[in-house]
Amino acid sequence: MELLKQISYDPAQVTGGYADRLLEIDLSKLHITIRDLSSDFKNKYIGGRGYALKLIWDGTRAETQYDSPENILVMASGPLGNEPGFPGTGKFIIGTISPLTDTFVDSNVGGHFGPLLKLAGFDALAVSGIVRADSVIVIDGDSRTISIMAAPAYDKETDEGSLSFGKRLLEDINNGEYSDSLAAVTAGKGACNARFGIINSLFFDKKRNRIRAKQAGRGGTGTVMRAKGLRGIVVRSSLSKANGNNAVDKEGVRRAGSRLREVISQADPKQLHLSAWGTTILSEYMNKFHLFPIKNYQYGQSSESPKLFAGVFLDRYFTKNLPDGCYYGCNLACSKSSEAVELTRGPYKGQKVNIDGPEYETVGAVSCMGIFDPHFVLEYNWYCDEYGLDTISTGTTIAFFMECFERGFLTAEDIGYKLTFGNMDAVDRLLHEIANAKGFGKVTGQGVARGKKWVAKNYAARNGISEDAALAELNKFAMEVKGLEFSMYVTKESLAQQGGYGFALKGPQHDESWLIFIDQIHKELPAFEDKAKALKWFPLIRTWFNATGLCKLPWIDVRNPEAASTDEPAKNLPTLAYYVDYFNATTGSKKTLKDILNDSERLYILQKLTNLRHGKGTRISDQIPLRAMGPVYFNEYESRAEYYDGWLREQLSDSEVPAIPEKKHELLVKKRTEAYQQLCDIVYEEKGFSSDGIPKRDTVEKFGLMDEQARQLLQSFDM
Amino acid sequence: MAQEMMVLVRFLGMQRVVTKKDSINIPITGDMTVKDILESVKNLYPDLNLDEEMLFVTVNQGKASLDRLLSADDTISFLPYISGG
Repeated sequence: MELLKQISYDPAQVTGGYADRLLEIDLSKLHITIRDLSSDFKNKYIGGRGYALKLIWDGTRAETQYDSPENILVMASGPLGNEPGFPGTGKFIIGTISPLTDTFVDSNVGGHFGPLLKLAGFDALAVSGIVRADSVIVIDGDSRTISIMAAPAYDKETDEGSLSFGKRLLEDINNGEYSDSLAAVTAGKGACNARFGIINSLFFDKKRNRIRAKQAGRGGTGTVMRAKGLRGIVVRSSLSKANGNNAVDKEGVRRAGSRLREVISQADPKQLHLSAWGTTILSEYMNKFHLFPIKNYQYGQSSESPKLFAGVFLDRYFTKNLPDGCYYGCNLACSKSSEAVELTRGPYKGQKVNIDGPEYETVGAVSCMGIFDPHFVLEYNWYCDEYGLDTISTGTTIAFFMECFERGFLTAEDIGYKLTFGNMDAVDRLLHEIANAKGFGKVTGQGVARGKKWVAKNYAARNGISEDAALAELNKFAMEVKGLEFSMYVTKESLAQQGGYGFALKGPQHDESWLIFIDQIHKELPAFEDKAKALKWFPLIRTWFNATGLCKLPWIDVRNPEAASTDEPAKNLPTLAYYVDYFNATTGSKKTLKDILNDSERLYILQKLTNLRHGKGTRISDQIPLRAMGPVYFNEYESRAEYYDGWLREQLSDSEVPAIPEKKHELLVKKRTEAYQQLCDIVYEEKGFSSDGIPKRDTVEKFGLMDEQARQLLQSFDM
Repeated sequence: MAQEMMVLVRFLGMQRVVTKKDSINIPITGDMTVKDILESVKNLYPDLNLDEEMLFVTVNQGKASLDRLLSADDTISFLPYISGG
């Protein structure tokens, strides 16, 4: 590989969870800079998402687009990442200005890259600029060098694939051998051609003796990586992972980790049993409660859904009796894998491939396209990973166009073929077209927000109506907010989760809040005020996980038996106490849960300010499509008419409920729309925002965020 | 002779794997509660790993407590807590 730039360095030793160093690489100038991070910086911005936010707030402008040279691609773990004595510490954050939302987005991903980056001496990596020819970066803590190199050319198949290229690169850099001292991130050709490109996080799994991959799926981080001319980043460190954080109180870390491991080993087998089934177990429960996003979120349930339940994947595909953690020490081990699956479609038909997954979201995405074939799920999963496409956004976007076709907004001439729900051949064709920017794939690769405008323009011209009128109709079932496609849950019957998606700062992804069960099923949030409090608390604690390098699942998806006797069992506070102990033992601080929530709120407000700067921070950007609130079309209403009629009777007196079904549907839509607006008012008040969703001055000042940029920004909104 | 009253217990996820059934009918008398049915299911399928502290119960799709009195033809599910990853 041709060396473009190399520097030598002395790796910083990690102490108390931090290396206190940032690695900055400017690809345009081929500059490599190591910057010390102050204690004030780490105390204020914690790590992970916080570091990404602060670097992007300071280093980019309102005009910065995803492919602007000044856009920054930040990768950062956090002070609690890399501790094999505590479950779920392999997570790191990739943050940037998104090609989908045009504002800050971050995606969390597991694997070894974040921990190894820290062992190599860096809390975060920030890549800016655009390199002239495709390149790779190698951060080698062993040889104490950081290099920018011309990307190697293998063969066409390998070079175009994210998984294939990453595997070959890892082998190449380590003299033909895989090792768990190395990890890589890569993006494939799909990320060049679609706005929802992903970054694969590749690591060596000793038990399987192969390279595995997890995905930073949301928001187009892979598209940014390829726009920078960056094909891959490799990090190496042979330092021991045990006690890699050099915790201040090692016994405290051991104690907290041991308690969490005990809860997981006792409770998970009696609950979701993620260690056996992975997240595919959710399909069955989502279907039971009408939450499965079938046919572009029209229906929550189908008689065909059992074909996509976890038992099918466990019986036919998942490897059994092998722990599946994405990092050492995690006994939840939910990262399931399917080995030697034969591809029956696409350019690699006939090949046997190893598939890391599927996860629930990928299964949901396939149901969203009206397909109920488990083998298709596997193939869709692999091709998306290899091409570097987000399975969620790809599925939601294709499903939207399917509905456009079935409702007459798109024709077979527009697409080139009939894109109907459940049509596997059509999806297969379109998936490869997206990856290669061919045919209708060029439109689909733009995502729902841009795609709906394309449809509106063509439909309006064909039918002699205004584009605005066409777009207004499409907006009802175009499942995006702020430019990001919805993840895989039907929210029609949970007002709280409508807010969970609508207010989510990155767009409708459930990692900020997932309140469907406590709202819709457990009925624990009966009043608007209850929903508003949950819509403040859950995003804050979830933000903290994304700032510290932690996986949320051991907390949120394994209910500690002791939580039953607490006032708010859904918060799982007994387990959260282990996390607070772990933080304090690692860093030497004496924080309480309240302190941690305050730290998180600073990051939350900074992200809100960033959204405001990029035109995505006011009330209008929090509006959700009608499909997320209730049945858009009469067929949806009819599919659960008895339920919806009951809902109306609960809200109104008998005399107020019309007799005619069409009128009932109309009234239902009106009530749901009004409820969402009322929720906006109450949630903004709870969060310290104006009625237009803008943070008030005292909210910004309270968290020490009123710098000159924030002052001018708020002034421009008359705040 | 009066017709026997029954409730339906639905099995989901791992429960279906253990029981090899989608559901079973259990006869009830007038004053039986969800807890009684839970005990019956535990006796029928000791491998089910049902722990009342870790269960969320629904009767006819709605949340229910363990001391809820049952009626004929009620449908009961014993579910894990789900919080959305």
